[in-house]
Amino acid sequence: MAKLELQQNLIGHKGIVWNVSWHPLGNMFSSCGEDKIIKLWSKEGDKWVTKTVLVDGHQRTIREVAWSPCGNFLASASFDGTTAIWDKKSGQFECNATLEGHENEVKSVSWSPSGNLLATCGRDKSVWVWEVAGDDEYVCEAVLNSHNQDVKKVVWHPTSDILASSSYDNTVKVYKEDQLDSDWTCIATLHSHDSTVWSLAFDKTGKRLATCSDDKTVKIWQSYGPDNQEGVIVDGEDATWKCVCTLSGYHTRCIYDISWCHTTGLLATACGDDILRIFKEADDSDPNAPSFDLICTKLNAHSQDVNCVQWNPSGNGELLSCSDDGEIRIWKFIME
Amino acid sequence: MASRFSGALQLTDLDDFITPSQECIKPVKIEKKKTHTGSKIKIGEDGYFDLSSGKEQKLQKVEITLADCLACSGCITSAESVLITKQSQEELLRVFSERKYTDSRGVTQDVSLIVISIAPQPLLSLAVRYKLEPEEATRKLAGYFRSLGADLVLDMTVAEDLSIMEAQQEFVQRYRDQADSDVKTLPMLASACPGWVCYAEKAHGSYILPYISTTKSSQQVMGSLVKQFLATKRQLPPGALYHVTLMPCYDKKLEASREDFYNEILNCHDVDCVITPIELEQMLSNQDKDLSEFPDSSLDWCWEVSMTPGVRRHGAPGAKSSGSGGLADEVFMYAAKELFGEEDVPLVYKNLRNPDFREITLEKDGQEVLRFAIANGFRNIQNLVQKLKRGKSPYHYVEVMACPSGCLNGGAQVRPTEGESGRSLVGRLQDLMETLPRAETSGAAVRHLWSAWLGAAGPERARHALHTSYHAVQTNDIALTTKW
Repeated sequence: MAKLELQQNLIGHKGIVWNVSWHPLGNMFSSCGEDKIIKLWSKEGDKWVTKTVLVDGHQRTIREVAWSPCGNFLASASFDGTTAIWDKKSGQFECNATLEGHENEVKSVSWSPSGNLLATCGRDKSVWVWEVAGDDEYVCEAVLNSHNQDVKKVVWHPTSDILASSSYDNTVKVYKEDQLDSDWTCIATLHSHDSTVWSLAFDKTGKRLATCSDDKTVKIWQSYGPDNQEGVIVDGEDATWKCVCTLSGYHTRCIYDISWCHTTGLLATACGDDILRIFKEADDSDPNAPSFDLICTKLNAHSQDVNCVQWNPSGNGELLSCSDDGEIRIWKFIME
Repeated sequence: MASRFSGALQLTDLDDFITPSQECIKPVKIEKKKTHTGSKIKIGEDGYFDLSSGKEQKLQKVEITLADCLACSGCITSAESVLITKQSQEELLRVFSERKYTDSRGVTQDVSLIVISIAPQPLLSLAVRYKLEPEEATRKLAGYFRSLGADLVLDMTVAEDLSIMEAQQEFVQRYRDQADSDVKTLPMLASACPGWVCYAEKAHGSYILPYISTTKSSQQVMGSLVKQFLATKRQLPPGALYHVTLMPCYDKKLEASREDFYNEILNCHDVDCVITPIELEQMLSNQDKDLSEFPDSSLDWCWEVSMTPGVRRHGAPGAKSSGSGGLADEVFMYAAKELFGEEDVPLVYKNLRNPDFREITLEKDGQEVLRFAIANGFRNIQNLVQKLKRGKSPYHYVEVMACPSGCLNGGAQVRPTEGESGRSLVGRLQDLMETLPRAETSGAAVRHLWSAWLGAAGPERARHALHTSYHAVQTNDIALTTKW
């Protein structure tokens, strides 16, 4: 038996909480939402408390926050069309750079594993890659117009500079830099979902990708390189992504977010049916046709849509979730 | 269908979920008559009927023109369907056979002279496609257009020369003004790329527009030459000339359709139809023909001065040109000479972050006095715009083009065949561009033509003939358009 035990219920935001993001060390996290503020939380004794509130960075809803891999920078993506970069070089957190260029709402922001690149995406259907050029300078490296609808999420591969995005056009796109002219191109399009793909997460190795959708399914995709032993046909030198597993029949509403724990390999989903679910790969799973079991269902995890779920990167089994109900909850996953 | 416009234009499409027709905000003008009872409208099977006058009067359907779309902050992709009506191969062939056309104001005109103007980039694209030398391709193209019924087939060299000459003078003027006043006149940004201009108008408005060169692009200078100078010479009403340009991208269709290029005095557009290599390839394949099958014909010449007609390249002698008309080169060389007395300066560009962003500087007595850049593609446009907004742009002049690699890689150039990369094809076009004879910009002949056309007109009219203006488009963010 496995269970999610509520550790703490965190109240403080006014209105919808859109996103929570763990600091890479796992001892702090940030949250953001409709109230246009960012809160930084950490532990005092055994209680999580708000340590800092960042205000006046954005004019409209803040949709997503993301810590840089070094933990010194925080990026926030807002419906005001900008992405703000915060750091505490001066001793306290301040916004020292603003990335402008998106036509309107920015929906997601993500740092590459090296911390040298940032990706953003939004309602203008584009995905932007930015390079950290030093001294609070960020330079646009690419504007990718591969999707033909609103782009919901951008996520980097865990070890290399490969980017994935998911969209209202029901697809996922994978991009990498073409060294010849240092421009970025779409190297793969993942078709299989029947509706908006809201979020995606790589596993620890980056060889697998989990996607979640408004079609109420989770799909697991596996990459096959040009020299694969399985006989999967690969066009050119870029890996082919193949859908190897579809988890359907578990979720009853749109699935808004998915998190893949890089320590335990567990998948957690955030769903419009207010439920948190945990999936585990079966012990006898075939690597090329894996099977996943639903091992935990937390009914009424929130009183409204769950917007975001994230495993603590330290691998201690802590899980963060936030919701339309204005609350953030910290859970402990316990395997009995 | 994927949009055929450049990336910069696609990004200005403000909509994502709702199809354009549902969110089009173009207000409908209704001729108001005074009534005491208000209107009564009946919905019939074949339209809407106004009953207020006592008898049924059919109401006109609302029509959205391309010009409406361009003046609006809403969708741009819907403009594509509007374009099809005025700027397509079908329309072109129809005009050839019927010898009449209906302009954007709904006026039908009889055509007595069909004029075709050929730009260098599409010529090279077609030369490569049909495995011809540029000169041979020129003759074949002239033969093809004549077989369709064209009366005059022209190169655009004189218009390119005039446009460059005007840009050179505009730059020198701005450079001098910059020194004398607090008004920011520099950097001057090239205006030749309609994708870039349209993006700047929609996304950056008043920040950027003052920096964009007011000099008309070569296409529009050609348009003015044909509709003003040539029509007068031939003693024809300008509307009786149907002017077609062969250009490397679809965005040029938008440029030709701008209200700014509708001449209110002459009652016509300067360019009536823009046709592109991809469409030409399609027209030929519809006829099951290869360009090389057509008889040779030579280009026409109808300007005052004596020059050999032909497609030419602009840019520094001996140096690799930008492929987009050599604006940065030509303005740099002229400014170096005019402002600093430096002749024959070597044009050595330094690549910056990527091959599509490069710069060149001129030093005088150890001081940097000129810094020019070529910025191609949307990512480089972004960085330039952000630098300008923060007051951190170090440039005096920037040749800005929306397409990566510039106009040789225009969105409507013939696609590479299977097995060839886009980059390799552009490389071949670039090499071919270098084989073209170099134009004599600011040569005596061009000055003479300028005098013949505009010399007697007075400075105001001369300016009007060669310059245009830009308009910031206000964006409306109404609550209805907010989507998560």
